[in-house]
Amino acid sequence: MSETTDVLPFTQRLRSNPRPALLWVGVLLVLLALEAGAIASVAVTIVSGLAGAVASGAAAVVGGPVVPSIGGAIDAALTSAGQVANGLPTLLSRDAIPNQGYQTPDGAWHGTFLGLEPKHAWLLRVVVVYAYMFGLLWWCWRGYRLYVRHYRFADWTPRDDVVDRLRTHRWGQFGLVVVLLFVGMALFAPAISPMTAEQNLYNAAQHDIEYYDADSESVEKMSAFDANLASASRGAGSVNVNPWQYDDFGRFHPFGTMTNPGQDLFTFMAYGARVSLAIGLIAIGVSIVMAAGLSMLTAYYKGVIDLAVVFVSDSIQSLPGILLLLLVSATFQNHWFGQIYNGGLLLALTFGVVYWPGLWRAVRGPALQVAEQEWVDAAKSYGQRSATTMRKHMLPYTVSYLLIYGSMSLGGVIIGVSGLSFLGLGINPPIPEWGRAIATGQDYVTTPAWHISLLPGLLIVIVVTGFNALGDGIRDAMDPESEGEDADAGATAAGGGA
Amino acid sequence: MSRWRYFIRRLVLAVPVVFFAMSLVFIVIRMGPRDPVAAALGQNQNPELAHRMRVQLGIINPDGSPVPLWDQYIEFMVDLVTLSFGQTWVINRGAGVLDLILARAPVTIWLGFWSVLIALLIGIPLGFYAGLRPNSMPDYFASFSGIVWRAMPNFWLAIILSRFLVNTEGLSYDLIGVQLSWSAFLVETNVIGTPDLGNLGDPMALLAAIKWILPAAIVLGSASMGNEMRIGRTAVLETINSDYVETARAKGLGRRVIVWKHVFRNALIPLVPVISSEAFVLIGGSVLVEYVFALNGLGKLTFEAIRQGDLALAGALLFVFAIFLQVVNILQDLLYTVIDPRIGYEQS
Repeated sequence: MSETTDVLPFTQRLRSNPRPALLWVGVLLVLLALEAGAIASVAVTIVSGLAGAVASGAAAVVGGPVVPSIGGAIDAALTSAGQVANGLPTLLSRDAIPNQGYQTPDGAWHGTFLGLEPKHAWLLRVVVVYAYMFGLLWWCWRGYRLYVRHYRFADWTPRDDVVDRLRTHRWGQFGLVVVLLFVGMALFAPAISPMTAEQNLYNAAQHDIEYYDADSESVEKMSAFDANLASASRGAGSVNVNPWQYDDFGRFHPFGTMTNPGQDLFTFMAYGARVSLAIGLIAIGVSIVMAAGLSMLTAYYKGVIDLAVVFVSDSIQSLPGILLLLLVSATFQNHWFGQIYNGGLLLALTFGVVYWPGLWRAVRGPALQVAEQEWVDAAKSYGQRSATTMRKHMLPYTVSYLLIYGSMSLGGVIIGVSGLSFLGLGINPPIPEWGRAIATGQDYVTTPAWHISLLPGLLIVIVVTGFNALGDGIRDAMDPESEGEDADAGATAAGGGA
Repeated sequence: MSRWRYFIRRLVLAVPVVFFAMSLVFIVIRMGPRDPVAAALGQNQNPELAHRMRVQLGIINPDGSPVPLWDQYIEFMVDLVTLSFGQTWVINRGAGVLDLILARAPVTIWLGFWSVLIALLIGIPLGFYAGLRPNSMPDYFASFSGIVWRAMPNFWLAIILSRFLVNTEGLSYDLIGVQLSWSAFLVETNVIGTPDLGNLGDPMALLAAIKWILPAAIVLGSASMGNEMRIGRTAVLETINSDYVETARAKGLGRRVIVWKHVFRNALIPLVPVISSEAFVLIGGSVLVEYVFALNGLGKLTFEAIRQGDLALAGALLFVFAIFLQVVNILQDLLYTVIDPRIGYEQS
């Protein structure tokens, strides 16, 4: 105990040398202030979503007229909060750098940012979005280095070695960058898609676009639905908007357009990335929690519990996951549970159930090893509660394995969801999903509209490779002994599942 | 423990696993929200037919009283074990489930056979080649393409490949000015559709059947091919740096003898589980690959049965798959002990 007395608590270390920390926090606040509007509106959306869920849950349980009125009041408050949030300045919104406009015959663009061509305005916005995201992450990384240099008590911790190894692991870094690009695409989908989701995916008939009509020599208004339909890629015929082209209405399509009703493929993909990422994270989260909990129980108590879990996991693994997923999603197709998040929640939970045996198998060995350690025995004889022993003395040793396998399995979930959506059983339209884009374009692969199927598939390959590479990187960084890089290839996401 | 006792123990252990897996399937099928009768007969169902179907499925007694779930469960399990799967209700209505499965199985077996063979014949040699020349350009190329190859979704690869093969004539004319047709290459075949496997004794028919199944087999084998390549590479790298290879080299053994006799044989051991895990990929992947290539096999049948609510058929198919996969697993463990006698029976 005498040693710890000369260790100052973190707050005091901070107080004795506040300058670097203050500078860092100041810059972070400036960075966050640029996106204040978006952060506020995300917060409002989450709160209102929670409130809505609670209200509907309460209405189902209690019923009666009281709940709706309270719900209404909350709803009104949240709506006004949402309006305030929307009023806040946001750097990364389409309003800051608009890319939709029309071109008059003199070549000038109207309605776009600084009169730039829509292509350049859109590119600028994408660059700004990613620059902001990477800048913010780099700043957080700097914050960690700052903490290590100025405020951490220990000169060295094992984590430093992990970080150092990751800093020289090019393959893992490639994976990290790909994963970050994908996550950025999902998070900032409204900002980086060339068109709004409403105009493009959900409610095109309710929105108008302006374009310059050469015949009447004036600016005309037109419903976005008709414009989309007129610029759909149909393979044969004259109308095909390929990647990196404009349609007849002065709208730029980085990935081209889809077939009827002519959505912009990039917008579709960006919002589809959200769906894939959300399902992947929920599924892996569920299976990591199950695997971690069960591995602790089985390693600590062994015996009958271990045998039971072996038995259950073997049974789940005795059938290919895709068949169980098919069965469950077909069974729940018209059920209310299958409608939550347009089938996404059901899929995510099913994936979680299908994937935990693999994760559990991966951490079972390490967990058993830790359970044999003397310090676990010591904690037991010291009278520590079993749950505390597992959490504090065993769980930390399995976290790295869970991370590695989680990252590798995530790619598998993305492939699986797209495969099911391809079969028409995953995510219901009109919610975008990458597999559905491939399905809509499957008859046009060898026509001028080749991009509809090809690009989503390529993106899946790149993203899945990225997650696999990140998993490789984390594994090599955490555990340099495991040079046998393919000992656990079974965990790596492979396209064979779907 | 002798090999046979080990074999029997594995067999006995596999029974409860299949049993429990089928219980899960029962829970989803019978306790899930989908009414098999409504799914099969649609909205305007004939009441008499619906009654007959419910009785045949074992949901109600002939007098109209519902059968308790527990009895349904026992009957479901007994039917599976005795292979009395009943009749289909949606696909080929009235046909026996077992007959339907037996009629569709040959295409899937043919597809699976070739996809395993192609994956083995391409993946392992490439992996060994890369492992013998580590960190050279061919190695990087093979490793990288293995990684990417593995991450490709089967269904996407199937679409791209099938559409290209269908249109080889037009595409080759556009690109090089010559009309090359895949369909007319060697023997006349289609790309989409089911090959005729009735007359494999005839060389031309055999050739046609092989050529027909080849694109689908390449797609289905792609993921395993990548796996085998990577694992083969690592295995060769590990064995070639091991002490006994060093000893053999010091002894003055020629490189060819070392590679063929000491390296390759041992490098094959870690490949055994990959080959058996291919069985999983085969059955899961055959659903999508058969769907895209319109092959009338078990995978497509499973998909149709599940989507159209023919749950009796779906349950029977899943049972067949579960049994097959357990058999493959047991064979793999046996193969292990044959290839490498050092692997003891006690550990597993």
